[in-house]
Amino acid sequence: MTALSAADPAIRIVGLSKRFGDRIVLDDVSFEVAAGEVVAILGASGAGKTTLFRCVTRLAQSDGGQIFLGEHAIRNLGGRQLSIARGEIGLIFQQFNLIRRLSALDNVLVGRLGEVPTWRVMLRRFPQRDRQLALAALDRVGMLPYALQRADILSGGQQQRVAIARALAQQSRFVLADEPVASLDPQSAKSILSILRDIARERMIAVLVSLHQVEFAIQFADRVIGLRAGRMIADRPAAAFAEADHRMIFAT
Amino acid sequence: MRTGDAGVFYPDPARSWIAVAPVRFVATLLLVLLVYGFSIYFVDFDLGRLWSGLPKLAHWAAKAWPPDARELGVLIERAIETVAMAVVGTTIGVIIAAPCCILAARNITPSRLLYTPMRWFLNTLRGIDSFIFALLFVAAVGLGPFAGVLGIGLHSAGTIAKLWSEAIEAVEPGPLEAAALTGANRLKVISYALLPDILPNLTSITLYVWEFNVRSSTVLGVVGAGGIGQELKNSVDLLDFARLFTIILIILAMVTAIDQFSAWLRRRLV
Repeated sequence: MTALSAADPAIRIVGLSKRFGDRIVLDDVSFEVAAGEVVAILGASGAGKTTLFRCVTRLAQSDGGQIFLGEHAIRNLGGRQLSIARGEIGLIFQQFNLIRRLSALDNVLVGRLGEVPTWRVMLRRFPQRDRQLALAALDRVGMLPYALQRADILSGGQQQRVAIARALAQQSRFVLADEPVASLDPQSAKSILSILRDIARERMIAVLVSLHQVEFAIQFADRVIGLRAGRMIADRPAAAFAEADHRMIFAT
Repeated sequence: MRTGDAGVFYPDPARSWIAVAPVRFVATLLLVLLVYGFSIYFVDFDLGRLWSGLPKLAHWAAKAWPPDARELGVLIERAIETVAMAVVGTTIGVIIAAPCCILAARNITPSRLLYTPMRWFLNTLRGIDSFIFALLFVAAVGLGPFAGVLGIGLHSAGTIAKLWSEAIEAVEPGPLEAAALTGANRLKVISYALLPDILPNLTSITLYVWEFNVRSSTVLGVVGAGGIGQELKNSVDLLDFARLFTIILIILAMVTAIDQFSAWLRRRLV
């Protein structure tokens, strides 16, 4: 954890559980992510990583426990309040989820959609302030020279940088990245993860990232959480993560 | 018995259907024959009558040459009227289809409750041909192209909205979800994240329907709803085959030109 963090944990998950029918997908999961901290969730496919993320964004409702994002108690929110809370979460996806025919800049401006009046969005007349935010975000991830390139001609690594810029332009306090490097080559994966770590430090963003490569988790995260069949089986500083944890998480 | 390398006999999974299910094969064959039998019976299919009618057709074809080009100016004007009917009719269709297709696309409909009734409504519009709508409108607003335009508009609205909503449903959900989760409302998501990705597709569909409408406008004149079809019907009624031939040539040229133009535009779009 960095020296910068001081206040209450930014993301706090308490006794979270979720079942689909008879199958328990998340079983009493509790952990915290401080502002400025990167926490990696490791787990095999089907361990419950994606369900956990869906519960945090409330695309799925958990069956028990609570999720706090700063002051928001996510499970209890609805309508307008939920929208406001979601606006503070920057999401990074495995498939980037950029709008293919729009430029990198226009994609980063998606991060401003929550704030800009509807008529301005429809006419694509974003205020100067929002455009400046978007350009600065592109510059931060090294994509300013590609601002006007269409998203679908960028490489995977470049697209993921644009997606990070989108989260930056959104001025999110929390970033959730679900397998952000699973479809990237190792080189691009490392640069994406180091950007995530750096922006966490610079902007005091709480970053929760799911991965399946242990070496990436150890190298880029402050803490590592092991998830297996919906149960937390490890929560350690990355430096203390051991071979034994690895075997436990991925044992079949 | 011949066997594979390991001395194991593999029953061939791709044996012919007759061998696998002979009863089902024979039953299917009988059903197909039955359908054809009934259909041919109902349409009074009779090659003999065609044979005896051939001299008449040949006689008319002979009378059709040389094509009568005396009224070429009027006929071309009517052809232009036909294309114009398709343009205005398709536009009416687009205006009606735009709000409908949003309700009728499962992934963006604001109301599951309205989704099914909207689908039914669109299927009804699509199920009733422009020709039938035009018949009704001729009775309501009088003879002329305006009735045809209304007929084309209503029928196309159903077709366009259905094809559009299918194009919308085929869109990747990821980018839309990403935009919606930033806290953007539905209107913002549709206008900013959805439209740019599908606009070329929607335009292509519209051009295709317009192309189709040019072809269907050519017959609307038969019920008095304007366009070159009206001239066509007059010529048939008067057995003026030289004039009819000219009209058919104009229709062919027009339809071919429109199809080529529209296909070229659509290629450039996607």
